Amino acid sequence: MLAPEYIEWLLSGFGITVLLSLTSCVAASVIGALVCGLRISQSKLLRTFARTYIDIFRNTPLLVQLFFWYFGAASLLSSDLMIWLNTPRSLSLGFMTLYWPSFEFLAGFIGLTFYTSAFISEELRSGIQAIPQGQHHAAAALGFTPRQIFFLIILPQAIRVSLFPLLGQYMNALKNSSLTMAIGLAELSYASRQVETVTFKTFQAFGIATVLYVLAIAILELIGRHIYKRHILLRGAF
Amino acid sequence: MNLSVIWDNLDYLLIGAWPNGPVGGLALTVILSISSAIASAVLGLILGIAMVMASQRFEALLATALGFFRAIPIIMLIFWIYFLLPVLFGITAPQVGTVVIALSLVGGAYLGHGVAAGIRSVSSKQWDAGLALGLKRWEVLRLIILPQALPRMMPSFINQWISLIKDTSLAYVIGVPELSFVATQVNNRAMVYPIEVFLFIGLVYFILCTACDMLANRTTKWAGLIVR
Amino acid sequence: MKRLISAVLVVSAVLTGVAQADRLDDIKKAGVLRVAAFDGNPPFGFVDQQSKQIIGLDVDYAKAIADKIGVKLEIRPTNPANRVPLLVSGQVDLVLANFTITEERAKQLDFSIPYFASGQQFLAKKGVLKSPDQIESLRIGADKGTTNEINLRKLYPKTVIVAYDDTPFAFTALRNGNVQAITQDGPKLVGLLANVPDKENYEIPAFTISDDYIGVGAPKGEKALVDLVNETLRELEADGRALKIYNAWFGPDSKTPLPRLFKIGDK
Repeated sequence: MLAPEYIEWLLSGFGITVLLSLTSCVAASVIGALVCGLRISQSKLLRTFARTYIDIFRNTPLLVQLFFWYFGAASLLSSDLMIWLNTPRSLSLGFMTLYWPSFEFLAGFIGLTFYTSAFISEELRSGIQAIPQGQHHAAAALGFTPRQIFFLIILPQAIRVSLFPLLGQYMNALKNSSLTMAIGLAELSYASRQVETVTFKTFQAFGIATVLYVLAIAILELIGRHIYKRHILLRGAF
Repeated sequence: MNLSVIWDNLDYLLIGAWPNGPVGGLALTVILSISSAIASAVLGLILGIAMVMASQRFEALLATALGFFRAIPIIMLIFWIYFLLPVLFGITAPQVGTVVIALSLVGGAYLGHGVAAGIRSVSSKQWDAGLALGLKRWEVLRLIILPQALPRMMPSFINQWISLIKDTSLAYVIGVPELSFVATQVNNRAMVYPIEVFLFIGLVYFILCTACDMLANRTTKWAGLIVR
Repeated sequence: MKRLISAVLVVSAVLTGVAQADRLDDIKKAGVLRVAAFDGNPPFGFVDQQSKQIIGLDVDYAKAIADKIGVKLEIRPTNPANRVPLLVSGQVDLVLANFTITEERAKQLDFSIPYFASGQQFLAKKGVLKSPDQIESLRIGADKGTTNEINLRKLYPKTVIVAYDDTPFAFTALRNGNVQAITQDGPKLVGLLANVPDKENYEIPAFTISDDYIGVGAPKGEKALVDLVNETLRELEADGRALKIYNAWFGPDSKTPLPRLFKIGDK
């Protein structure tokens, strides 16, 4: 078996995997909803913008996007900004301390967020298409502005309809976070390789990492089923 | 922007060291994509049909197995097949084979569910009608259900194929000289043009995925007309 | 089901049996020697822009070994972290990729006698790193799966280490300002710096934090293969070809002139 020290490496890698996936998913959901709003707006210009955004991020590999952000985009930033971004600092909130993330984390977060947001936006759009047009007209007749109609009436229902596809995207984000190992972020896959190269216990290192991934996905799946039972079966989808 | 780094290495990015060495670059990416697309489609069809036709217990078993392949990151799966299978069972999978196997297993696991859902979306009355006509279950599936279900599955197949094209970039982790890998080689040698190199291969993937998307959509529409 | 299990067992037993046969015989039978070498680390192993083939000092040694056996040479590109798994899983026959001989590695695989010697050094922007006591105050880039990374963590435990897939990635991170120095074997850094377009902005501080010997990695227990590799290396030294190979990459007229302080057989 692995020494406790190495188990600790794997667990801290898992912590980063969870933190990165969680923050990226939250940000990607917000951006995804906004892009979805643009995608179905009245303005042709905004629609084209949203479509281009979605196509670019969906039709290129995440690995290439991560390389671009970490190695490419970073080379465009001024060296003062890079020093600022790379300086460790912390913010004490009394009950807890927030640490400034590493540049690897920032690049991973940006890459994973943009990539995931494109998929989320499309899932929301197909959710919206499932909502009867009549609601739109009814809300407009009641005097809601188009923006209010989208955010207050259509979007909440679309989220409910596309709950499972959205959950699928969150699971994908969790798995995709493994690619950030290529830009030096010490997440779970990175940690498993580190442990493997130090201990040569390939089977144990990859085995534990695999179990942790499967566990995390299984938990998401259970959460999904729970929400489904409580909110959708009881209240009805529409 | 300095595009000379792209022009100077264009043939290497497109075909690798071929013909004086193995095929690589974009050509290998296309080969990997097409082989995994075919393998995952066949696997997905078999698994999906098996899930519908099998007993409940077997279906649960199959669903769990597929769940596993959908739960682990592809990078991890590639490591398992490439580095651990030989140690555990003495079976050595070649480099390119490893990637195709990993991508097809994951793709097949996703498609299996899509196929099962597609088959189930056909009304059960059609099953009853077919059986009443004296057809066997397999015949009903082949002659009545699948011709209706397959066009409905097309969108999930197309999405999966586009994912596969992108996922071939993960072959990078075991040194398969596909597009992403040769691009990192070029980038590493030139050292100062990461923006140019990664934007360029991003564009190539973009064209590849968009073309696949458009082609598949056209074909589906055309096939849809015929089926109807 | 039982029948299936026994069938699987038989098949795997047969396959394992094949894998355990004498590797040297297998190589002769296949007519190909599969060697893992670096593809982005001049002058040890790198892709030549003209020929698109992997060339370098390590590749020259690999070629000599393949010639000795009388088979074709097939080079597989590798990054540092994949070297041990490639050997252990039987994907390659030998590793010639600036592979430092260590006790821990020697438990997993067998090494030849050393054919190169080097020491762990650093590369930083000019004036950033002057002495070893500054190391712990810097963010340092290393390569995953190298002795450099493990050694740095052991000697300077408080250092922030960011590990990349290969040295050029670490260098890009240095250039972008994500790390303040990168660590590697000295000659590898010299080879890297020689190809940097603005090399006047960087330096390799003179101190070394370890002495490393580089050997050929072979699968565990393949005595015949290792003996043949050792014999080849000694011959190369004796007939002057080793010096020729060295001079081609590190000689006075090369891009990276370094005096040759180590001869095969010295250790």
